[in-house]
Amino acid sequence: TEWNVSVWGKRRAFTEHVEKLAELVSAKTNGEFTMNVSYGGLSKNRENLDGISIGAFEMAQFCAGYHPDKNRVVTVLELPFLGVANLAEEVAVSHAVYAHPAATEEMAQWNARLLMTSPMPQYNIVGTGDPRSTLADFEGMRVRATGGLGKAFASVGSVPTSVTATEAYQAMESGVVDTVAFAQHAHLSYGTINRADWWTENLNPGTVNCPVVVNIDAYESLSDAHRAVLDESVDESIEYYLENYAKLLQRWDDVLAEKGVEKVTISDAELSAFRAQAADPIRAAWIADMEAQGIPGQELFDLVMTTLENTRKGN
Amino acid sequence: MDPISIGLWTTGGMLVLVFIGMRVAFAAGLAGFVGLFWLRWNGFDYDPAKFGKALTISVKIAGQVPHSKIAAQALSLIPTFILIGYLAYYAKLTTALFEAAKRWIAWVPGGLAVSTVFATAGFAAVSGASVATAAVFARIAIPEMLKIGYNKQFAAGVVAAGGTLASLIPPSAILVIYAIIVEQDVGKLLLAGFIPGAFSALVYAGLIIGIAVIFKNVGPPVTGFTWRERFAALPPALPIVAVVVIIIFFVYNPFGDAWGTPTEGGAVGAFIVFLMALYRGMRWAQLKDALLETAKLTVMIFSIIWGVLIYVRFLGFADLPGVFSDWITSLDMAPLLILICILLAYAVLGMFMDAIGMLLLTLPVVYPAVMALNGGEFVTAADSAFGMNGTMCAIWFGILVVKMAEFCLITPPIGLNCFVVAGVRDDLTVQDVFKGVTPFFLADGVTIALLVAFPGIVLWLPSLVG
Amino acid sequence: MASSSSVLQDESWLSRADRALLPVERIFALFSGLAVFSLMFLAAYSVSGRKFFNQPLNGYVDYIEAAMPVIAFMGVSYVQRFGGHIRMDMIIGKMRGRVLWALELLTVTLILVVILALIWGSWAHFDRSFDFAKPLWSRDSSIDIGIPMWPAKLLVPVAFSLLAVRLVLQIIGYGRALVLGLERPVAVPLILTIEEQAMAEAAHLAEQE
Ligand code: NA
Ligand code: NA
Repeated sequence: TEWNVSVWGKRRAFTEHVEKLAELVSAKTNGEFTMNVSYGGLSKNRENLDGISIGAFEMAQFCAGYHPDKNRVVTVLELPFLGVANLAEEVAVSHAVYAHPAATEEMAQWNARLLMTSPMPQYNIVGTGDPRSTLADFEGMRVRATGGLGKAFASVGSVPTSVTATEAYQAMESGVVDTVAFAQHAHLSYGTINRADWWTENLNPGTVNCPVVVNIDAYESLSDAHRAVLDESVDESIEYYLENYAKLLQRWDDVLAEKGVEKVTISDAELSAFRAQAADPIRAAWIADMEAQGIPGQELFDLVMTTLENTRKGN
Repeated sequence: MDPISIGLWTTGGMLVLVFIGMRVAFAAGLAGFVGLFWLRWNGFDYDPAKFGKALTISVKIAGQVPHSKIAAQALSLIPTFILIGYLAYYAKLTTALFEAAKRWIAWVPGGLAVSTVFATAGFAAVSGASVATAAVFARIAIPEMLKIGYNKQFAAGVVAAGGTLASLIPPSAILVIYAIIVEQDVGKLLLAGFIPGAFSALVYAGLIIGIAVIFKNVGPPVTGFTWRERFAALPPALPIVAVVVIIIFFVYNPFGDAWGTPTEGGAVGAFIVFLMALYRGMRWAQLKDALLETAKLTVMIFSIIWGVLIYVRFLGFADLPGVFSDWITSLDMAPLLILICILLAYAVLGMFMDAIGMLLLTLPVVYPAVMALNGGEFVTAADSAFGMNGTMCAIWFGILVVKMAEFCLITPPIGLNCFVVAGVRDDLTVQDVFKGVTPFFLADGVTIALLVAFPGIVLWLPSLVG
Repeated sequence: MASSSSVLQDESWLSRADRALLPVERIFALFSGLAVFSLMFLAAYSVSGRKFFNQPLNGYVDYIEAAMPVIAFMGVSYVQRFGGHIRMDMIIGKMRGRVLWALELLTVTLILVVILALIWGSWAHFDRSFDFAKPLWSRDSSIDIGIPMWPAKLLVPVAFSLLAVRLVLQIIGYGRALVLGLERPVAVPLILTIEEQAMAEAAHLAEQE
């Protein structure tokens, strides 16, 4: 069996679990089951879910925020200020939501089965000019942030401006945006860190959720042995992803020092004001919106919270 | 059958269809669709029971491409650039430019011809299309040159060659297309076209002066303009300066933060030319005409883009570009020599094909090979074959192929600019124009050689942007 | 319209159908031009909002992406009517009579094949983004301000369907020319030599001045 896998951009920390999965599956089946990972050759990133639905390829990665109407359920994971502290917690809450019937059912409409997440750290912002550390500073700030994150910044008077990740550097340089919200690896690989004067270390406004899915027909037509290999390799791949990302985060402080980027710490008072102004109303609106469409919004949000609690207890 | 053979057969079939006159957009779309289907059914071992499934999947993959690829912000530059060009006619910028160039620089030997070259270069700063530039200046500049005793073949050649400057000097539709196909920064590419475009204009001007000095009868200087007359000629041409400044400053502001994205720069430039055209008497009838003409040209270009991208999607599944670049890099030849062969192949191809069609059809396969030749997309300047990193190599190659495509506009047998100039003037045959354009054709050869030998000419400006 | 001279007319039903379709095609193309025009204002508005009022246009990119299909597809049939889509006429330009009509018939039929496939495929693309049961019937939305994608996606099969009708007329036109051995058939774009083409272009520019 040979599977085509559609991801985008270039190979980076964000795609390492997919590469690892391909490697593990091939090794464990002595090359009988291989995956051919294509970086943008098979589909545009926004259309990866469509490609899965068509059967154009067997596995793909996408981000919920690119097209919320395609994947309403998993956008719960993109709500601002969920309080996720690290990648392990991000994996736990994502996989809990992925296992919820509402999520599996919605994805089944795309002929897709949620396989694993691509855990992303909090989208702290880098910015140019004077550091912004109070809510008042955020007013009128032009920020590159998408989805729930964009809404959160909008609620405190910022103007979310979406440019594609590849254009973020140019947008920052040209003053189209003052700040960019990205995970660390993206600040590095898209060069926004080179343009930055400061980085918020504890704003932790939220993150994006980018699942890896497989085509259901392709998954079911795998031999039992191959399917077992695929399933059991997920945890290992995620493990590898986390290790790899941890190394990158270790390097992060050095990069900040080397580029002379100031670490901005936001006071607890400001943070809780931000949360009250952004997180609560956005969450309430999201839940109401979902419930109106027959999606168990409250239940999904509670699931995230209890999973978070349980994960912390477990540690 | 293996995917590579399917890729080759399908590509061959497409080329045959293009050759016998099928519209390029649809020939490429057909090849992509058929290739996708063939690949898929081949994967099903030609099982008749799975024919329908293979067909459905490939139809749906192909059907995704037009919308998904066209709905992109960067592509909006192309119609904007085309619109600027049409609006510029109504803003009467062409005559204004020629008049200003004449009063300021026609005193040099071959003065009117030199003025024509600089006026076409100036018009290039608002026009994205070479053919239109040649047509307009054939009407304005040739009569004036003939009036003071220019050789008519030479006058025609100047205009045909000057027209080609429009595609290098930003705004340029063809550079945007290149940037989209190879997924490089549009702003940097537009910026990179500036100096080679100006450089080509200087080479043309130098050539004209040289010819005028040696052959006295080619064209006398024109003198006698007062300074007052000179300054009076400037204001009508000012919008050009505004557009140039805007586009440059949107992409790269030497004095601080740039103003915005190239997309915005193009659109704001168009807006200024639009206001100018209104001021110069454009009304709804002319505007409607400009909009329809813009729509036609835009649709022609976009149809090729999505058609070719269906074919490219198929290539992605067949991995033909990967195999081709493996082959190119395995050749036992100096990389620079291979690059020169590729450019020569473009020169030959360009004799028979339209520039945009040629680039779109070949780049998906040729571009990855050139990048691989240099050492890959992420190579550093130190480790590379051409002494530049991946991004710079992409820019350099882009300018080279676009210059090649321009070169082909004045080469026989189908140098479109020459036909256009001959078409505008009843007293000129195509042979006359080809004869007159020959020196410029040689000058372009020199320019291309210099751009290959000294990549710095191309890369200096974009390298400032970081 | 300078280029319209390349399509001949008479009183046959085919030529009437050709002329009946033309206004529809022209309106569609004009929409395409107007969409380009609107891009200009959109940018001017967005830039001045950002530069002077610190109030950028929210969803600027989303609006552009929604306008692009109007620009790119609405005029596709209008251009085909005049034979404007780019091709290489080295060989076909040298052909005369039945050989020419046979070649044109072949390529136009192939275009119809690919367009029918694309109508199907682009309809499916639209259909995946459309759901009567959902708010705004949307099952796919833009990245910034979440506008539904389906209207823009629907434009593609609509524009291609108009093109398919045009192609059927051209197939009949070329088929008739082939069977009857016509010299100057109606309702199909007649090839202009490259000189004639340049002449037409020049005449058109002259009109504008
Ligand atoms: Na230009
Ligand atoms: Na040529």
